Amino acid sequence: MSDAPSHAPEKSILPSWVKGPQDFIGGIALMAIAAFALWASSDLQGMHGFSFGAGTAPRMFGILLLALGAAVTVVGVLTEGPRLAVYAWRGPLFVSLAILCFALCIRPMGMVFSAMASFLIAALGTAETQWKETIIVGACLTAFCALLFPYALGLPLQMWPTFLIR
Amino acid sequence: MGDLFSNLGLGFSTVFQFVQWAPPFLGGLSIPIPINILLCLIGALVGTLVGVLPGIGTIATVAMLLPITFGLPPVGALIMLAGIYYGAQYGGSTTSILVNIPGEAGSVVTALDGFQMAKQGRAGPALAIAAIGSFFAGCVATVLIAVLGAPLTKLALAFGPAEYFSLMVLGLIFAVVLAKGSVLKAIAMIVFGLLLSMVGSDIETGASRMSFNIPELADGLGFATVAMGLFGFAEIIRNLDAGGEEDRDLVQQKVTGLMPTKKDLKDSAPAILRGTVLGSILGILPGGGAVIASFAAYTLEKKLSKHPQRFGRGAIEGVAAPESANNAAAQTSFIPLLTLGIPPNAVMALMVGAMTIHGIVPGPQVMQKQPELVWGMIASMWIGNLMLLVINLPLVGIWVRLLRVPYRLMFPSIVVFCSIGIYSVNNAPMDVVLAGVFGLLGYWLIKHDFEPAPLLLGMVLGPLMEENLRRALLISRGDATVFFTRPLSASLMAISAFLLVLALLPALRKKRDEVFVESES
Amino acid sequence: MKLFNRRVAISGLAAVAGFGALATTVQAQEYPTRNITMIVPFAAGGPTDVIARIVAADMSKTLGQQIIIENVVGAGGTTGATRAARAANDGYTIITGHMGTHAAAVPLYPKLAYHPEKDFEPVALLAGTPILILARKDFAPKDLKEFVTYVKANSDKLNMAHAGVGSVSYSSCELLSSVLDIKPTGVPFNGTGPAMNALVGGQVDYMCDQIVNAVPQIKGGTIKAYAIATPDRNPSLPDVPTTTEAGLPKYQASAWNAIFAPKGTPAAITAKLNAAAAKALDDENVKKRLLDLGSDIPKPEARTQAALGELVKSEVAKWSAVLKPAM
Repeated sequence: MSDAPSHAPEKSILPSWVKGPQDFIGGIALMAIAAFALWASSDLQGMHGFSFGAGTAPRMFGILLLALGAAVTVVGVLTEGPRLAVYAWRGPLFVSLAILCFALCIRPMGMVFSAMASFLIAALGTAETQWKETIIVGACLTAFCALLFPYALGLPLQMWPTFLIR
Repeated sequence: MGDLFSNLGLGFSTVFQFVQWAPPFLGGLSIPIPINILLCLIGALVGTLVGVLPGIGTIATVAMLLPITFGLPPVGALIMLAGIYYGAQYGGSTTSILVNIPGEAGSVVTALDGFQMAKQGRAGPALAIAAIGSFFAGCVATVLIAVLGAPLTKLALAFGPAEYFSLMVLGLIFAVVLAKGSVLKAIAMIVFGLLLSMVGSDIETGASRMSFNIPELADGLGFATVAMGLFGFAEIIRNLDAGGEEDRDLVQQKVTGLMPTKKDLKDSAPAILRGTVLGSILGILPGGGAVIASFAAYTLEKKLSKHPQRFGRGAIEGVAAPESANNAAAQTSFIPLLTLGIPPNAVMALMVGAMTIHGIVPGPQVMQKQPELVWGMIASMWIGNLMLLVINLPLVGIWVRLLRVPYRLMFPSIVVFCSIGIYSVNNAPMDVVLAGVFGLLGYWLIKHDFEPAPLLLGMVLGPLMEENLRRALLISRGDATVFFTRPLSASLMAISAFLLVLALLPALRKKRDEVFVESES
Repeated sequence: MKLFNRRVAISGLAAVAGFGALATTVQAQEYPTRNITMIVPFAAGGPTDVIARIVAADMSKTLGQQIIIENVVGAGGTTGATRAARAANDGYTIITGHMGTHAAAVPLYPKLAYHPEKDFEPVALLAGTPILILARKDFAPKDLKEFVTYVKANSDKLNMAHAGVGSVSYSSCELLSSVLDIKPTGVPFNGTGPAMNALVGGQVDYMCDQIVNAVPQIKGGTIKAYAIATPDRNPSLPDVPTTTEAGLPKYQASAWNAIFAPKGTPAAITAKLNAAAAKALDDENVKKRLLDLGSDIPKPEARTQAALGELVKSEVAKWSAVLKPAM
């Protein structure tokens, strides 16, 4: 997730006694997730008598994950392991934007717009994209989806932007 | 036995029913049409075509296509729906193999080795063996339903909360065995999955857990949402990394042979057989049996194999076994529905809905009162499986050719299909956003060499495990010994303990195995 | 390729132009001029969905426009109801809610984003599904009177199944406990199917549930029914006495289903929808299909919008008294 470093420097920023940076950071992140879950479920009721409360199981799994994360971290310190992987930014950014765009547009703007827009935004995610071809394929795909989902399958999907209908 | 034959005869005569069709343009000439077979064929075909779209899982496909059957006569509608169901399932497996996007819990396992096979240019054999395995499993399970349907119902009823809890523990052990890397990290992923499954409202008190007042989280994270994120979106993002091109070109150029070789068939035959048996038994258990079927089968193969390190790296048994188990379980999960009228899973609940809309209320007497319906459906299951084979073996070539579509065009299409698929399950835009978040999480997991499959299985099993544990303890008033005093539960626990030992042993000998892998590849 | 491209562009333009023309004529004509979306806040195939689909199909014929069912599932139906409450009040988004979403949800979900009375216009009461008191087939009491004494005496030993907090089954079970003044151990299941499975398998002792799910099991003898919680017996279970006949008149419950529109939807529109729904309920075919489900078709005096408004008011009060707010 975003809390992990987005680039791997040549010289590791981690102290030299960390032999397996990949597991070390991975374990720490799992511990952070577990701690967050424990905090988020802290307001839930625990055991009452013999029966479980709403918070019992989440807390159990949270503590377990905390322990396992610690174990992974220890493994990262003690055993030789791969260094941190390199993260790309372009792919994740544009694919996420495309998904976000679809989610935000589908209700107000309808399917035709959302499908086409998110197709084009996703295509920005790679340098290989050739625009002419991408636009043609995007239009065909949009037309295909528009025919398939609302018409052939009768799904309750709105086709066009709301402001055009009203 | 005589009964069985007369019943099956009734079933097949229902399926092979001809309707006289006299279109005006033929001038009074009427042609007999095998209407139910046609409906079954159309159902299987449409189910496959919709199910194969990435991002649209089995449940979503059946739910989408359900209204199409409303206008048909009841028997025809249910036969068509059965066809849709099998088609959707097979379509889902196709997507798992080709683009690593499982549409339901069962195909997570298929994706493990199926996608690796596709990467090695062996998508054709993987798809074909999935079709053949499913057909075989379908045939066996159909006979099983016809012969043993009623007695097997007792097994479903003998399973109480304690037994289900023990079964889920067993399922978690299976999930550990799935891992191809570090056992410790696999266990951490399972627990992470269990933790994620806790999101949503608690069924006993209704308290909302870790849902941060987001209404879409009130019922928890959907399987489709997380699976599309962790597998679909994460895979795309990873492929876009610099250096990913070579990896992809490999997939596109190396296609060798569409059909399995003799060796493939020889390797898969026992796996298909064992998968069928496991799937048939587990499928009968309502609420979670069928989920476990496919990875139980995978685990069994991995444990029995002389070269377990091949699993997760494109072993054909790793596709054949879970696919057979999955299909057998899909089939036998009709048993509780037909004999008890109780839907064992979400797809079957949709079937019940379809029946009620047609004025048939499924229940214990449906078998006596509407035998042509029940037996017609059983017969159509077999026909449906045959249709799948007929439709899919020729389609293998087309699917494999799809892999040749340049990735720069393929990935935006997958993004769009997945978004539409996730949205259409609940008509909720938030689900699409969540899938995106899980895509980023999946990318991070890949970078840290954590496997997403155990996480997903932990997520599926978590609620079943917690609910059944709590139910069992409520009923026994807090006495935890029920898990060991009830014979069925105790035997499941014993198998779990045995498997756990087996799973941990290789971890202790891990160093040696790794050397082995290196020298082989 | 080029030719194809141009053709796509032209047809796209034509579509946009056609649409513009349509949009201007829309305002002039009378409701409804386009498809109506009906939100069903439950999964396809459930009792409410089936009733909504049967009625909506007939209403579509009357109104001359298709009613499209949109299943918005989640949080005991409140996710869908929240969306309906926030939808435009132009009559093109309506909802089929039920006893849970438009009454019991008020005490169950303290953070509910809508109020059944304040955020909706009552449109039409559809069929209701009566509640039954059910038990495993070898449960000792022979009739409802014995059941009441037995359950009161042994409430700490018995297990009552329900289909999860927020479900109709849960609310009606709680109502029974409050009428009997007992606190049994409630065993939650994830939906009606698994709960019924446990009852048939004898893992739990008794439960309350909607008639739709129970009729085949009762007729098949796998479970038994003590009473039906409506004023009249049900034609699909003529042998099951009403709670009044069997000596527990205070226990009355039916999972009513009704159409609502967002607050502020013009009265002319809701009246038109009400008339279409009433016509649907009088259609012989619709009636037969609803009765086959075991459901209960409201009498003409209960079908008015005002009566539905009153029903919601009284139901909210009734369930608020019974259900303690969940956390």
